[in-house]
Formats: sequence, structure tokens, C-alpha cells
Amino acid sequence: MPRNLLIAAITGALTCATPSSATAQAVDRAHTIVIVVGALASQPIPTLVHDRWNQDAADLLFLRLARLGPTMMTAGDKGFEPQLAKSWSRRDSLTLIFNLDPRARWHDGQPVTAKDVVFTFGLFRDPKIDPQHALLLRSVASVNAEGEHRVIIRFTHYYPEQLYDATYQVQPLPAHLVDTIPPNLLGSSDFARHPIGNGPFVWDSLAPAEKLTLDASPNYFLGAPAIQRVIFLKASDPDVQVNMLLSGTADAIENVAPVSNIPRFASMPNLRIVQVPSFTIGYLLFNQRDRKDRSKPHPILSDSLVRRALLLGLDRPAMLRSALGAMGAVPYGPVPLISWIRDPDSPPARYDTTQARALLASRGWTDHDGDSVVDRDGKPLELELNVPTTSAVRMQLALETQQFLSHIGVRIILRTSDGPTWNSRRNQHDFDIDASSSGLDPSPSGLMQSWSCLGLDGINVGAACDPRVDSLMERAIAAKGNPRPLWFAAIRRIEEDAPAAFMYSLTNAFVVHRRFEHVNIRPDGWWAALGEWTVNEKR
Amino acid sequence: MTRWLVRRIAQALVTLLIVSVLLFFIIRLTPGDPLSRLTGDRPISPAAVAQLKHLYGLDQPLLVQFSAWVRALAHGDLGVSIAQGRDVTTLLAERLPASLLLGGVVLLLNFTVGLAFGVWQAKRHNQLPDRVLGAISLTAYATPSFLLGLLLAGLLSVHWHIFPPCCLRDPLATDDGSLAGALDVLHHLVLPVATLSIVSMAATMRQQRGAMIEALKLDCVRTARAKGLTSGAVTWHAWRNALFPVLTLFGLWLPLLVTGSVFVESVFAWPGLGLLAYDAISGRDYPVLMGTSLLVALVVVLGGFLTDLAYATLDPRVRYR
Repeated sequence: MPRNLLIAAITGALTCATPSSATAQAVDRAHTIVIVVGALASQPIPTLVHDRWNQDAADLLFLRLARLGPTMMTAGDKGFEPQLAKSWSRRDSLTLIFNLDPRARWHDGQPVTAKDVVFTFGLFRDPKIDPQHALLLRSVASVNAEGEHRVIIRFTHYYPEQLYDATYQVQPLPAHLVDTIPPNLLGSSDFARHPIGNGPFVWDSLAPAEKLTLDASPNYFLGAPAIQRVIFLKASDPDVQVNMLLSGTADAIENVAPVSNIPRFASMPNLRIVQVPSFTIGYLLFNQRDRKDRSKPHPILSDSLVRRALLLGLDRPAMLRSALGAMGAVPYGPVPLISWIRDPDSPPARYDTTQARALLASRGWTDHDGDSVVDRDGKPLELELNVPTTSAVRMQLALETQQFLSHIGVRIILRTSDGPTWNSRRNQHDFDIDASSSGLDPSPSGLMQSWSCLGLDGINVGAACDPRVDSLMERAIAAKGNPRPLWFAAIRRIEEDAPAAFMYSLTNAFVVHRRFEHVNIRPDGWWAALGEWTVNEKR
Repeated sequence: MTRWLVRRIAQALVTLLIVSVLLFFIIRLTPGDPLSRLTGDRPISPAAVAQLKHLYGLDQPLLVQFSAWVRALAHGDLGVSIAQGRDVTTLLAERLPASLLLGGVVLLLNFTVGLAFGVWQAKRHNQLPDRVLGAISLTAYATPSFLLGLLLAGLLSVHWHIFPPCCLRDPLATDDGSLAGALDVLHHLVLPVATLSIVSMAATMRQQRGAMIEALKLDCVRTARAKGLTSGAVTWHAWRNALFPVLTLFGLWLPLLVTGSVFVESVFAWPGLGLLAYDAISGRDYPVLMGTSLLVALVVVLGGFLTDLAYATLDPRVRYR
């Protein structure tokens, strides 16, 4: 009998040790959001951030001077919303003046001052400390303080995205805490382990393998958040993420994968799907240089008409429907649908196998031996497609590419590998076609790195190089008037030259518990607006 | 015995040395870019890539990287994780308790309940209970643990909400060392332990059953029965003889203590070394991969060593010189 009692007690205790147990009750569940993420932020210090997870946490801890408005317009001085700076103005075409909000405080109670901004710009602009940001801020000539709350930023020349560069790229750090830390030791400093920011949430704790906890900053100068606690919970497996949400362990997941799960979530009364257009585009990148000798052109893909034929041989809307459902659209050129340089009057090229075959024939590619594969000088038109198995969407698109291009007599050989191996092959230019995906910045100026001759030694791994495109983009970046027409012209040339088959502009699907209201997931920083959400405790 | 111990320890050290050299070069020569996860799909400038490569010594020739790694290892330094920017020794120390808990409970169940069932079956050899348990254990043994894990999570977590689908503890709970906290951990332990135990316990049961059936046929056991010993005493005599194959099994299962199971830790987001290794493989995080591999190698060597030692202790016929 005592043994039976003991067994009953243990079983009862185990099944009762649910989230409502004594330990868990200490936290207000309704005002806590548990977000499942693939990886946890380990160093959410703006100068050290390279990945999205650290950036997401940094966005909650560290404010920018201003943030992009809902239109995500990066050119000009309009459309930005105040953050650390309550206002800004121009002294002349090269000088921006920011007036800091005197209410802004670091989480240790110290005021945010112009000195902090000047100090942080110094870190960001030093190529030895942060080469990526130094490159992006190369047009900033000087940053100075005028008193406690005024910052003067001068640029080397005029361009429409001065305000964007001054605000989006830099998140000020507390000079009084960081200026004594040698920059190369910042990553291993106490500050990196327990960052002190100025944003709506305060660093609480990091259990590196489990979760990151941030608490609402009660004295946040733009209004205390309704969500009291944010917990980022780590689970890299998509199935586990779904289980966490369905079992009630988590309140939100980002970027639902696979998309076939979306209807399942949509049918659940306590969950809502939030669709957010993204700056991610997917494309089949054509390698225009020889794989073995980069000084030579690619024997097949250096020909723009062949590339164009491949593009026309793909029924991209149909492929997209099967891979992404309604969560994407075919873009025109390398431009996400959310970008302000998207040309609404230019539709992507339509699927046309007749024209594709004609183009191939015009370059000597016809089926001479009747094996259904076009050939020239006895060599079949055979191309290797480099694709990562870690992306279900790109795997699906690769399979369909193989099928569609077989209809125009092109043989595609899939070369599948895991993410790091795929990336390694891509960076070593070891591919004919690459199933690529890029998460772009809101600014179109980043396109220069991928699609201009300037990027040939860098990330332009397909070696697309058209001096006319370069010229148009350079003029657009420095335009004194409306830069849109110049961008449209540049994108039109890229689309016509077909350096890639642009397959999708992605819309991300998030799932969030319905007790959270005024849900705003930003395309440029998914969780950055969590401080503005509200909580309906009755749900 | 002392000479044997010294020789065995020396052998273990040489084995570890060879394993570490092989691991270093195999891991480094595996295709893949260790910076890929760090940068994600965000375009990053060549200067930034060069800085990251320099930071982690990836711009050095392989032999230079190896000598630097050996020098650091001699000081107990396993390097810094490329993906997390933290010391590998710290990462291993953080993850070890969760794996020890999971692996320890599984081993405990395996070598208590599993052994007991094996003996119980053997004593009822070819009777109905033996056949029923035999069928159950065979089914369990043949079930892939990934399928079992997904089934258990789907049914007991998502459908019936009895056990949590993941994690070491409730995300809202704090690690305050209270009884409620301990119960919470136990609650979260149920599904990963069940997934691992059901399959591994079936193997132990079958092994023990077979060994015990043979032991019960031994002359000494027949003599014990003839002398009129109680059933329990006879079983004890037989069991000591049936223990040796299970000892070998124990040596083989011992690495479970530190690895858990890569798959099970992944399916239940269990923050142990298995998950750390899985993430390191996915991201080609060389230092972490080396650290976890070395730890596993150490435990494998230790498992063999302990098994040999147990043989020497339990079997009077075995003598080591």
C-alpha cells in the first residue's frame, strides 16, 4: 500500500508540475511573450552583430536616432519616425542636425547624450573594428556634439540616403560604460554579457542553450511596454517549434516553415497568422565566369540570350505557388516587393517555351541527336545547379527548375549539399547556377554590391557586370532629385540582361497568440516594435 | 594490476592523441564554410569576411591552425566558438549537466528495469509472459527513435497536453533550486527519457534474457538447486554469471551520458551536448565540433577501461598483468 501511494504521489507531482506550478507563477503569464527562435542572441552589441538573432535582440535594447516609417522609404528626410532623436533638421545639403530627446535614459539611469552618439559613430566608422559598417558609413565626414543633446553629422557629398545612413546603420552605445573597454575585447567584456541599452526592454538573463530573457523597462521614455517580459526560446528544429506553439509552451514563432503548416495554425482560434513582406529575395544565379578559370567567360552562361532563354523556360508563378503558396510573388529584377524602387508598371517576363527554344536555337543550341537535350558542337546543354538541402523552398524550386528546363531541352543536374557546403561552393564560384537567397537592407544602394562591376571581388559571385547598370545605379544613389526613375532604369537593364532568374520576393508568416493586440512585426526588424504591442488579458 | 593500470592509461592517452589529430584534419577538410551561419543570407563585405577569418584563425594554413590548437589544448583551452563567440570549455560545461541528467536517467533505467525484466523473462523462458515481453521488446528495439520521439511529442504534448514537448524546464520558471523547480525538470525529462529508454531498454532486456537463459543451464546453478538453495539465491548465482555480456553493453552505452542522443536532444530541444554537437555540425563550428568530439572520445575510452576493470573485479578467472 505505501508503495502504491508513493507511485501515485510521484505521478501526480510530475503531471502537476506544469507551467502553472509555483516557480512559474512568479511571472505574469499574460504579459509575457515566449517567442521560439532558431538561435539565441549571444552578443547583441550593435558593433558585433552579424546575424539576425543578435540584431533582433539589439533592436529591443538599443534605439536608433530615428527609424524607418511604414513605407520603408530610405531616400530623403521624410518618412522617418523619431526614436532617440526627437527632431532633426538640415543646416545645408551636407549637414544633418539631430536633437536628442532629453528624456532618453540608459538602463542604468544615466542620460543618453550627444557624447554617446559621437563615441559610437567613432566605433562604427573604424574599419579595424567594424569593416562592414565602416563601408556603409564611408560618406560620413564627421560627427560632432554641440552641447549635451545636439549631434551634427557632416557628409562628404550629397546623396538622398544621408538620413538613412545616419540613423539605420548606427545604434548608439553608452560611452560611459564602453569607452574604457578596448574594442577588440568588447565581445568578451562584462558589457557584452550584460548589455545596458536605452530601448524598451532591459537585459535580464541568458541561458545560452535555452533562452534569453528581457524585461520591460519601466522608465522607458517613449512609454512603458505592455508586454512585461520577452523570452526568446531556442529550438532549431521546425517541427519542435510547431509543437511548442501547439502545446501552448510558446506564444509566437517566426517564419513558419514549411508553409503547409499555415492552414493548420489558421484554424486555431487562439492563434493569428501575421503576414509580413520581407526584404528577402530568392533567385537562380547564373555564373557568367568559367568555374575553373575566372578570367574566362562561362562557356554557356556568359551569353545573355541563353540566360534569357532559361528565364523564359521557367513558369515562375506556377513554381512559386507550389513552393510557397501565397507567401511570395515573382519580382521584377532583384527588388523585393516591399522596396520603394519596385516598378509597379514592369511585370516579370512571362513563361514562353517557344521563345525560349527560339533564343537557344539562335545561339546554335538545337537537338541534333534527338535525345531531347539541345546541343552545340556535340556538347549537350547541361548545367549544374547548386542548392542547399537546408532550404525546403529552394530544394522544391530546384526540382521544378529541372523539370521545366527539360521542356526546352536543357539538362539540369542538381548538386545538393548542406548549408555550409553550399555556401562554400557558392563563394568559390563552383557552380553553373546557384539557388540563392539574399536578405537585403531596406536601402537599394546595397544592390551595388551584388549586381555591379564594383562587387566582382566581393559578393557578386555570379560576376554580373554591365557598366550601364553601374552608371545608372551610381546616378540613382547620388541623385539630387527623385531617384526612382534612375533605379527603375537600372533594374530594367538588369532584368533584360538576366544575370539571374529572380524567383520570389518572400512574405514571412508569423504566428502570434491572440491575446497580443496591435501586433506590429516590422520588415526591417521583426520584433523591434514589441514595446508597442498591447495585451488583452481576457483572451 | 598496477602495471596493467599504468599501461591501460598510457594506451588511452595515445588513443586520444591519435583521435584528436584525425578529428582535427577530418573536420577541417570536410567541405563547408564555417562563417556561413554567422553571416546568414545577409550580404557581407569581403573586408568583414576577412576580419572574421582572421579573428578565428581561418586565414592560416592548416598546419599552423593545428599547432595553435595543440598549444591551446595543452593549456586546457579548446578555443572560441565561431557561431557563439564564447569559450568552448564554458559551452561544454554549460551543456554537460543536461546531458548527464538525461543520459544518467536512461542508463539507470536501462540497467535496473531492463536487467530486471531480462532476468524475469529468462526465468519464464518460453512461457506466455516471456513471449509477450519478447514481442514487446522486439517491437521497441525495432522502432526508430526518431519516429518514437515524434509520436510521443505529438500524442502526449500536442494532443493531450500531458507532458511538455521540449526544453529542460518551463520557459517561465526560474532556476531557483526549489522542489517545484526540480519537479518541473523531471516533468520535462519524461518524454526524452521515454524515447531513449524504450529502445535501449529493449536491447538490454534481450541481451540479459539470453545471457541469463544460458547461465541458468550452468552446472553450478544445477548444483545450487540440488543443494536446496532458495529460488532467489539460485537466481543470484546465475545472474552473476549472466552479467558479463551486459557489462560490455554498459561500456558501449556509457557515451550516452555525455551525448544523450543527438536526435532526441534535437527533437525535444534538450539543451545538452548532443544538441550542441548537432548545431556545430550544421554550422561547421570547428572549435565546438572538436571539443564535443574529444569529450565523446574520452568517454568511449573511459567506457572500455571501466568495462575491463569491472571484468577483472567480478570474474576471478580474469587477471591483468
